[in-house]
Formats: sequence, C-alpha cells, structure tokens
Amino acid sequence: MSEKWALWFEELGQEDRELVGRKCANLGEMVKIGLRVPPGFALSLEAYKDFMSMTGAFDEIGKYLAQSKPKDLKQFRQSSVGIRQIVQSKAMPDKLEKVIASYYSELSRRCHTGEVAVSTRSAGTVSRPGQYETHLNVVGRSALMDKIRQVWASTFNPRSLAFRSRKKMPLESEPIGVAVQKMVKARAAGVIFTADPNTGDDTRMIIEGNWGLGESVVGGKSTPDIYILDKKNLEIQEKKLGPKSRYVTFKKGGVTEKKAPPGKSGKFCLSDQEAKEIGKLGKVLEKHFGVPQDVEWAVEEDKPFPESIIMLQTRAEVIAQNKTPVDQVVDLMLNRFSRGVGFGGGKM
Amino acid sequence: MKAVYGVTRFEFDEKDDLKSYTVFLADVVHGRPPWRPLFLIDSWGQWVYRAVQRAAEQLSLPTTKGWDARYINGYPYLAVIETTEKEAKKREPMFRKRIRPYIEDFNAIWEERKADMMSTYKGLKQRYGLKKYDGIKKLSNVDLLDLFDDYMQVNRKQWDIHMEFMVPAYYLFGLFEQMCSELLGFGYTDPLFARLMAGFDSMVFRFNKEIWRLGNRAVEQGFEELFRTTKDDEVLLAKLEESEAGRKWLKEYYDFLEVHGWRNERMLDWATPSWIEKPRLGIPLIKVAITSGGTYTIEERREEAVRERREAEKEVLGRVPAEQRGWFEALMKAAQKAGYWSEDHNYYLDLYCNGVGRWITREIGRRFAEAGVIDDPEDVYFLVADEVEKALIPMGKNKLHHQVDVRKKEWQGYLKVAPKSYYGNIDLVQEILRKDPVISVATSVPVVREDVKADLYGAASSPGVVEGIARVILTEDKLAELKSGEILVAPGTSAPWTPAFEIVKGVVTDGGGALSHAVILAREYGIPSVTGCLEATNKIKTGDRVKVDGDLGVVYILR
Repeated sequence: MSEKWALWFEELGQEDRELVGRKCANLGEMVKIGLRVPPGFALSLEAYKDFMSMTGAFDEIGKYLAQSKPKDLKQFRQSSVGIRQIVQSKAMPDKLEKVIASYYSELSRRCHTGEVAVSTRSAGTVSRPGQYETHLNVVGRSALMDKIRQVWASTFNPRSLAFRSRKKMPLESEPIGVAVQKMVKARAAGVIFTADPNTGDDTRMIIEGNWGLGESVVGGKSTPDIYILDKKNLEIQEKKLGPKSRYVTFKKGGVTEKKAPPGKSGKFCLSDQEAKEIGKLGKVLEKHFGVPQDVEWAVEEDKPFPESIIMLQTRAEVIAQNKTPVDQVVDLMLNRFSRGVGFGGGKM
Repeated sequence: MKAVYGVTRFEFDEKDDLKSYTVFLADVVHGRPPWRPLFLIDSWGQWVYRAVQRAAEQLSLPTTKGWDARYINGYPYLAVIETTEKEAKKREPMFRKRIRPYIEDFNAIWEERKADMMSTYKGLKQRYGLKKYDGIKKLSNVDLLDLFDDYMQVNRKQWDIHMEFMVPAYYLFGLFEQMCSELLGFGYTDPLFARLMAGFDSMVFRFNKEIWRLGNRAVEQGFEELFRTTKDDEVLLAKLEESEAGRKWLKEYYDFLEVHGWRNERMLDWATPSWIEKPRLGIPLIKVAITSGGTYTIEERREEAVRERREAEKEVLGRVPAEQRGWFEALMKAAQKAGYWSEDHNYYLDLYCNGVGRWITREIGRRFAEAGVIDDPEDVYFLVADEVEKALIPMGKNKLHHQVDVRKKEWQGYLKVAPKSYYGNIDLVQEILRKDPVISVATSVPVVREDVKADLYGAASSPGVVEGIARVILTEDKLAELKSGEILVAPGTSAPWTPAFEIVKGVVTDGGGALSHAVILAREYGIPSVTGCLEATNKIKTGDRVKVDGDLGVVYILR
C-alpha cells in the first residue's frame, strides 16, 4: 500500500488525476514534457483516506456530523472548527510518517541540503482554487507532518462543507492529494494567462508579476506589473508598471508580506527577455494541454537565464464566458481603469 | 498664492496642494475666456466639482473620488482625487452593482431624468407665476430673491444629473474605444468609428431640424434674397417687421424662441445674452440653413447616417470573434447610448439651465442699475451671490460700484493672461487619465512627439488633411465672423457651435477628448480635426495659413 501513498512528480502524468489530484498530475506532466519544475513529490488521495481511517478520525467526524447536522453557513462554521480539531489532534500514523519522511529526506538529498524548504499545496481531483490551504516555506520533518495534516484538515473549512452540502456530496470526507514541492527562492513571480481571461482573445498572452513570491499576485493584494505579449511572435505589445506596493517574502518557518521599498515598486520586476521566455513556456503548455492555461511562474534568484525561469503549476484557464455580457463589460472596466491595461490581479 | 476675486475657497497653495494632488490641469475647455465672478464662484465653483464628487461616490468609482479645483489667474484648474489601492479594492463590489444599469439601459435612466429636469424648470417658473419671458419684471424684489435662491437649487440638481451620466458615459465610451483599437485595430479617428456613433435622434438634431424648417419657411415666403444679402441681423429683423409675410415669419420664429431660446451665446456663462432675449442670435444659424439648404435636407442626411450606422455595426460585429461578440455588442450599444447622451444632454442641462440663470441674473442687474446700486445691468456679473442677497431687498441702499470696479479690473487682467496648462507633476498624467477618463472632457495633456516636426500637437480626432485660413474664435458670440471654408480654431466647442461645422474645412481646439462636442461633430461632418492642442488659440492668429493633419494629430502654421 505504501508505494501508493507517495509518488515523485516524474512518475506522474495528467492521467493520474484520480490518484494524486489534478495539480500533482499536471506537475508530473510538466516534468514529462521537459519543463523546468521545482522537484517534489505527491501524496495520493489514498494517503488522505488511510490517514483518516487509521487514526479513527473518519468515524469521529461521522459521529460529530450525525449530531450537529449543520445546515447553514453559521453551523458549517461551527462544525468546521470541531472537525478540524479532530483531524489535527491525530498524530501522523507511524507507517505513513515513515514513508513521507523518507521521500522528504530523499528530496533534501536531491536538493543538496539537509532539510529542504518546501511548499505543501492541496490537489483536488477537480480544480477548486482557493478552497483549501497552502503552506509555504515549510522546513523539517515535524513541521512538514504538521502542515500536511493542516492541508488535509482544510477540506473541512466552512466553505467546502457548504459546497459539498449544496452539491449533495458526503460531508465527512473529501480525499485530496498534496503536492510537496521545493520552494523556489524567487526574485520575482506571478502568473501568465495564455489567452485574455476577460475577453477570450487568444492572440495575446498576459503576464502579471511582482517581486518576491507569487502569492502577492495570485492573492490579488498588490497591483502587479503587466505585460501583454503577441502570442504569435512573443513580441511585447504593451507593458505596464504596477505600483506593487507590497510583496511576499520568506520568514522563518513561513512567509510574510512586506511593504515594497520605493526602489523596487518603481521598477519592472522582469526583463523583456524574461517575459518572453515565460511567454514561450506558456505557449508550450497551452499547446501540450490543448486549451489556454493559467500558469504560475517564478524567476529563481542566483540562477542564470534561462534556467532561472521556472514553472510552478498550471491549470486550464477559466475564461469569463459563462458570465453575462454585462458582467464581462464590468470586469473589463475594472481591469482597464482600475488596474491598468490588460488584466489585473485577483484570481482565486 | 492669490485668492481669485478675494474668495479664498479656491485659493492655490502650490506647496501644500501639490502634496495632496499630483497635478492640476487647466480647464481651458470651459474656463476660457475667464468667467466673471458671479458665475465662476457661485455657479461653476459652487456646484460643478461637488457634482463630480457626488457622482464618483454614488457610482463608488474605484479609482477616483471626483475632482478638486483651484482657481489660478482667473482660470479653473482640476485635480483628480485619487484613491489608494486599498480603497479601490473596497469600492469595487459596490461599483459592480451601481454601474450595471448604465450598461444595460443608459437611455431609460436618462429619459427619466430628462423629463424630471424639464418639469423642474417648468415648476420653478410656475411657482412664481412666470408665463412669458417678460413676466419676470413684475416680480417683487422679495420674490425675485427667492427665485434666485430657488434657481440655485435647480442649478445644483442640473449639475448633479449632468455628472451622474457624464461619468459612466466617459467610462463606457473610453472602454469601447480601447477595445475597438485593441481587438479590431481601429481607433476613434477612423471613419468607421464615426459611422458607428452617428445618426441618433438627439435633441441637437431635432433643434437643427427646427432651424432648417424656419429656413425653408423663409425661402417659401420669398425672403431668401433678404437673408442672403442682409449682413446686420438686427436690420434683417427690422426689415421683416415691415411686411405682413415678414411679421408672420417672425411670429413663428418668436414662438420657436419661447420654447427653444433658453440658451446663452456662451453656453456656460450668464454674462452673455440668451436667444430668447436677443432674437438676432438665432439668425446666423438660419442663414446657414438657407445657404446650405436646397433640396438636400437634414432629415435625409440623418436617414443616411442611420443606414450607414447599421451597416457599420454589422461589419464590426462580423469582425469580432464569435466567442467575444456577446460582451462586445453589449459594450458597443452602451457606448452608442453614451455618445447619444453626450449630444443630447446640452439642450436639457447646460443650455436650458443657464438660459434661465441668465434670465434671473439679468433682471437683478437691471433693477440694480435702475436703483443706482451698480452702473450697468451687466455689472451684476462682477458681484458675488452674497452681495446680490445683501442689496436686492433694501433696493438702492447698498451701493456696489466699488466691488464692481475692483473685480472688473482683476478680470480684465486675467483676460490678458494665457493660462499655464498645468501645475505639478505632468509625467504622471497618463496614469491619472487612465484612472479617470472623465477628466479629458475638460482638459488636455501635452503630447510630445518626436517623429513629426509640427507647430502644435494634439489628438487625431477626425481624419483627413486640410489646408486653409485660420479663424480664432474664443466665444460663441464671435461665431458669425466665421467664413465658409475657413479653419476654426477655438478653446473647445459646445452644442451652440454646431452651425459652424456646416461651413468650416477643419477644426483645431485647445482642449477636449474623444467625447467632446468638437470631436463628435467633426467626425459626423467628415471634417479633419485636431483637438487638445493646449495652445492653439495662443499660437495661431486669425488669417494664418494652417495645415490640419487629422491623421497624425498635428497642426502646421504656414503663415
């Protein structure tokens, strides 16, 4: 059983979505087609299920839910607290911990370091961005075990409980995979949309970036730099300096958001050459997956170009087509006038 | 630092104010030539900026809270009240809700407000039993003062409504313009863009139709020769009085003025006469209708424009990829309505309201002069509202000659000053214009162009290249000086300038953006035009030979 608990990215491909979750499967696929992806491994859905059953958490949660029968958001909020306490009170079973620890030390060895800093991200079988937790800059075996349990426990957040309830899915469990990936020491990071997410225009690609880690861009907290690339020839059609008032950087045992020093906020976080390279890789991904992609990238510090350009994850892009035309017009207005040309921060 | 007309409210403190605001831009479109104090302080200053601030708040605009203003050397200057990134995010959800109705049905809301405004004017007149234009002379001083105060509230309402629509209109129009050029590669200077926006049945069109009707009537009655040959319009009116047919035509004309004559020679100013007050003011327009009339009617022209618009819509939508057509069409329709509003609103808001303002203030001026409070009725415009309130009821007791003298001297000084186009950091102006597309209604940004060597740089707002003799016209009352085939050079233009476009070959303005009146009309008439040159009226002299390049947006002075 244990060989199914953890798998290296390079052992995976996009067909493994049910095994390790979509994000991990896509990471495997990216490695397969030869893209630069930070090394790491995936915990399978099986690992989640076995953790829940081996620790008895599954039964306890079932009992808890049978009693509390949450119906509205307020009750989901209460139940969430109760269930997360149950999950987090369970120690990682020995067998499982051993497997994870061995993968972690192998990863550290591969990265030529004693204890490598990693991120732990949820990987559902269907993409539900923003629902579950992500932990960054996790260092050391016990911290890793702790964060993995927290990612698993986050499947019981109020929003997910409400979502499952509405979709008539079982409340007591929602197995997900976890991607454990080496943290990139990012000088700059962000996303690229290989088609304009507002208009669906697929002749141009939009890059958003900020100094530091990509979380400031993904979270939409700080207005990033924007590059618009001609998809055909990768020429930069337009670039727009974002105020980038805040950026995310490492701190001990995690990350922190900091105010950007004036020297940084007034400067583009990417060179044109870097932007084009990101565009080139975005195109490779779109071509491979067959639909426009929404890709997270980073520029690794202390690495020479082009090896410095790293792809962190990819997913099919959500294009605003199921929105009403009027909503699309409002989106456009906000993006153009409020956030600058092209497209601005704030995806889930 | 110097308070304009002694009023500290708009005093400019270069050091402190430039800490609060990035840049102040001269509002040359409206504020040039400089207004006299009564209008500048108590109408424009009192209500306009507040209305923009209100509109920004009501719509919960993410990027701006409207405008702040300073008066420098008699000219109004605007600054955008920018929000922070954090505020912008907070205001966004409400903006989403509030902007919707304007995208979905701009016209329906406008028709409602328009009707409300017209009944407000009517109600104001009824409250004081005013039926005819001259009825105001019979009001007691107390009633006249009340009317003045009540009018100010009507004025305020007019500006509130004005800005309620102007803000979304500019956002929608600006966005559409951007998407056209991005997606389909044509900008607002393209004739195709002009066709998309033309042929709507706005009040400007209906008003012009009335003018043409009066022109045709004059021709039918055998007055064509008289209209063509009589230079002095007062003489023309006097000659018409001499015959039965002439008096009949005049009656028709005066009836027209009772309804449509609430417009001042300078649209936004009380110190110039209204048409209803000076009937000769409408005659130049009727002359234009007669000389360019014939069988080619304005109605036919509009039908053609409608046909062309439908074809242009089909063509443009056909070029948009199918999956993007939904939002594009929604945006196009909203932008068309915004364009229609931009044409339509002047009549109901700016023109009518200020026509009424002229009516009331002029009557106050007449009484003041009669009672020896001031020398000349028109001197009332050198007072401020407080002084009007002070002197109106104890009529004749409070002399205001001194105030008039001081302020008149100050104003005459301002007339000689060419306003500096901005104060502050001009480098960041593009960023501000993006956040607040509305500000382009009033100001322009200097364009630096290294690729062409010209005398003036502006926006290429209506395509084509033309050469001709320039005529600099600063105010509407000088419009009659324009000769056929000349090139009009003006600070900006507004609805009353429409007839000028019938006869000029090209247009150059100091201010104005894509939605400004000059641009819309120039496109509609197919006249090359360069707008937003900032200094056109300073640099070009009447009689200069100029070349207007509406494709590149530059003007050459050939002399």
